[in-house]
Amino acid sequence: MIFYLTAVANGFLNTINRMTNVKAKQCLGTTNGTLINYLEATVIAFLLIYLTGNGAELNPEHIRIVPPVFYLGSICGLVAMIFIVIGTPKTGAMLSSILMLVGQLSTSIVMDYIFFGEFSMIRVIGIFLIIAGIAWRDRLKEKTEK
Amino acid sequence: MYVFILILSGILQGCMTSLNAQLGNYYSLFGICFFVHIIAAVLLVLYIKGIEKKKMVFAGAPWYVYLVGFMGVGMVASSSWVTLRIGATAMMSLSVIGQMVSSALVDHYGWFGVEKKPFSMKQLPCYGLVLAGILCVVNG
Repeated sequence: MIFYLTAVANGFLNTINRMTNVKAKQCLGTTNGTLINYLEATVIAFLLIYLTGNGAELNPEHIRIVPPVFYLGSICGLVAMIFIVIGTPKTGAMLSSILMLVGQLSTSIVMDYIFFGEFSMIRVIGIFLIIAGIAWRDRLKEKTEK
Repeated sequence: MYVFILILSGILQGCMTSLNAQLGNYYSLFGICFFVHIIAAVLLVLYIKGIEKKKMVFAGAPWYVYLVGFMGVGMVASSSWVTLRIGATAMMSLSVIGQMVSSALVDHYGWFGVEKKPFSMKQLPCYGLVLAGILCVVNG
């Protein structure tokens, strides 16, 4: 249960973080507004590693045993952000959020199969329902705004 | 073309969540956060200095903007922790409902200076559909 609640809380934090990032980009510019996020988080995480007694994991020997491909997550995140900046003004907020969700959820199914060996048709149906629900809500919102 | 770019951005975000979670097999939660953010920070500094040739300016934003780092750590740590336990699909689906509810609250109350857009009860069935989808993903 705690994992499910944390995942929902992650969604809440995601929205607050997005709104704050919008403000940061308005005040500091796109790249500086993004950089402050990464720099601060780097320093905070560094301090927390030592405060929680895990400093040994920053040893070069330990860093080298991790498969390099696992370090590519942040690069994926950065490239995704650039694509969002390019694509969203051309397609509109509604379509862009649905398209991203299609990409995110279908990839997560593939990744779960690769890393955990899990695949379920019911999950695929669930993803279609989620996307349909969001598309429907965005359509209603768009109609109300008109 | 732009449709493809946006689907690709979603695919990359899905890869990001799963790859970050895999780091959890080697590092503590804060270790994951450290590597995820420092790699992106180094690349951005190189971009700002090498391509944009701009100054790095961090002053002049409202106080709450300077809390973004805490939020970044919280998001990466929680998503990696949860993904390792329940998988990326369930994590992302549950995060979606959190995002939908919180966005509706932000719009309804006009938080963060956004224009107020009151919640309409007509939207409830849409939330029900998403919830049904999430139940399928979690129990599937």
